[in-house]
Amino acid sequence: MEQGDRRMTRRAAAAWLLRAGTGALVAALAGRAASRPAPGRGVWQIDPRKCIQCGRCETECVLQPSAVKCVHGYAMCGYCKLCFGYFLPDAARLDEAAENQTCPTGAIRRKFIEDPYFEYSIEEGLCTGCGLCVKGCTNFGNGSLYLQVRHDRCVNCNACRIAEACPAQAFTRVSAASPYLLKETLS
Amino acid sequence: MSVVRVFCLLLALGPAWASAESRFPQPQFDSGHVVPQAAHPPSSLEHVPPLADTLALVLALAVAALLVHRVRSRRWLLVFTAGCLLWFGFLKRGCVCPVGVVQNVAEAVWAGGGLAWPVAALFALPLLAALLGGRLFCAAVCPLGAVQELVIIRPLRVPRALDAVLRLVPLAVLAFGTVLAVNGAGYWICRTDPFVGLFRCSAPLPMLLAGMAVVLLGMVVARPYCRYFCPYGVLLEVCARLAWRRVEITGSTCVNCRLCVGVCPVGAVAAPREALNEAARSRQFGHFLRILAVMPLLVAGGAGAGWLAGAALARAHPQVALAARLAAQGPATAAEAEAEGPAEAEAAPEIQAFRRSGRDRAEVASLSAALVLSFRRGSAWAGACIGLVVALRLLGLTRLSALSVHEADRVRCVACGRCFPACPKNRRPTA
Ligand code: SF4
Ligand code: SF4
Ligand code: SF4
Ligand code: SF4
Ligand code: SF4
Repeated sequence: MEQGDRRMTRRAAAAWLLRAGTGALVAALAGRAASRPAPGRGVWQIDPRKCIQCGRCETECVLQPSAVKCVHGYAMCGYCKLCFGYFLPDAARLDEAAENQTCPTGAIRRKFIEDPYFEYSIEEGLCTGCGLCVKGCTNFGNGSLYLQVRHDRCVNCNACRIAEACPAQAFTRVSAASPYLLKETLS
Repeated sequence: MSVVRVFCLLLALGPAWASAESRFPQPQFDSGHVVPQAAHPPSSLEHVPPLADTLALVLALAVAALLVHRVRSRRWLLVFTAGCLLWFGFLKRGCVCPVGVVQNVAEAVWAGGGLAWPVAALFALPLLAALLGGRLFCAAVCPLGAVQELVIIRPLRVPRALDAVLRLVPLAVLAFGTVLAVNGAGYWICRTDPFVGLFRCSAPLPMLLAGMAVVLLGMVVARPYCRYFCPYGVLLEVCARLAWRRVEITGSTCVNCRLCVGVCPVGAVAAPREALNEAARSRQFGHFLRILAVMPLLVAGGAGAGWLAGAALARAHPQVALAARLAAQGPATAAEAEAEGPAEAEAAPEIQAFRRSGRDRAEVASLSAALVLSFRRGSAWAGACIGLVVALRLLGLTRLSALSVHEADRVRCVACGRCFPACPKNRRPTA
């Protein structure tokens, strides 16, 4: 009986040793990971200088419609009458008819300011983030239209699906306090 | 030819092509029009103090421990499971969760870079809880587990052999998922999470269909993701094996009525086994020695297979894929590079981005070669680990000790509590 008891205590002690060892290992892994400097978790954003408007932002986001939308850096815009973001290259006439527009959903608003200038703005609810307008504006215009992850929509996935699919590695984590990479303020 | 096209052509030919920005300087408006500023919604992340999230997890694990070990009530566990599903699943949108954080931790530990401590805590807390009280996280807290728990209708018994084979999958997912994450090929464990689209209430179609399929399967095979895919489950199992307090089916003494065996959806109730007689004992011991002898072979075989699989795994890395694309194109001569201009529109986006980046092919090729080597090394380690665990599992089969009662298997039991009301000894005697 005595002997049995002692065997039990010895087993219990060994079990506690193993348990404590495993616990220490888990804590060490987590601690080592957390010990390196990490400025908060950060949120995902597109560097517009790297984006090549491949179209995956529209299709790869885990949200449908995508959390990526076109934004307009007005400060860079030339207020062109012939906007390369707004009009298709083979537009027959420079008017608001849908068949002349680049945007498949008609998400770009065109407002007359004064001759010959027009102001363009994005109706975010309609934009799908396809980047067609961005491509036109970047290739032939001032590049004032660009894509950004909108943080009222983005759920900040642990691993952004678009970031993993982006051919240009344009996605980075930025601080949650200033979560945009606005082209007009980037050099 | 339309006006616009002519204009485009002129523009493309003209010197404006060289300078990308400000081809058309912003006008001075006579009407005094003020250039607006686009509004950018702030990140909702700022408003969530991470400390509160960590505390919520600690609290949830503590409540689960209370319900499993003290209150021992299936009904309350069910209510709590639904509550946790609402909070961690739908309100917190199921991301970031401990299952995926395995990758963040592995990446931070082996590839450098840091991790915010609340995320690291997410990894450690459920494991530490498992060391104390079994798989409490799986019992109610994990939103993935909760979805599956709530859809179980008529669980089938998975044949032992099939079960043993399928239980290798989580091991492989953990091992290779870690290799992919550490080497920068993306978070595949997140990509294969079947339910996160449900929590976000939005998902691309393939993800949605996969999630639905797992839910349907989960009606007849209890917790299919937990048992046969979840990589974090592997770690939880290791910790639960060493748990200080195991899940007790009965509050008093087991009378071997077998009523608990039928209700356990995951086949976790271990039935009594006879003490072995001398002959059987020595036969079992012989098995043990033989498995011990082939153990190095299993580990080495795993490592070798991992090394071979490493090259295929590496293709998941964008730079390796890019190098393969470039190689498939054949060597680029100066003339070809010249001719690449007009083909721009047709080239794959990866190639377009590569051209624009101004990197040269040799650089990509050498980076890719280094990556393949690193993938090979990593997956050799992964293979060795799988081999080791397989050997240990085989060793575990050659058990000598007898068992006189029914008890919950430490490893498989997810502490769902179904067996509590099933046990007649748990019912309060009616006066
Ligand atoms: S996936 Fe990358 S390159 Fe493609 S549109 Fe989005 S940011 Fe631009
Ligand atoms: S063209 Fe595409 S990216 Fe541009 S506004 Fe329309 S939907 Fe958005
Ligand atoms: S983090 Fe998720 S929700 Fe946000 S843009 Fe990327 S894939 Fe979409
Ligand atoms: S096994 Fe994995 S998915 Fe299932 S409840 Fe546990 S941690 Fe969650
Ligand atoms: S508590 Fe464990 S042993 Fe009991 S029914 Fe649930 S999984 Fe099976």
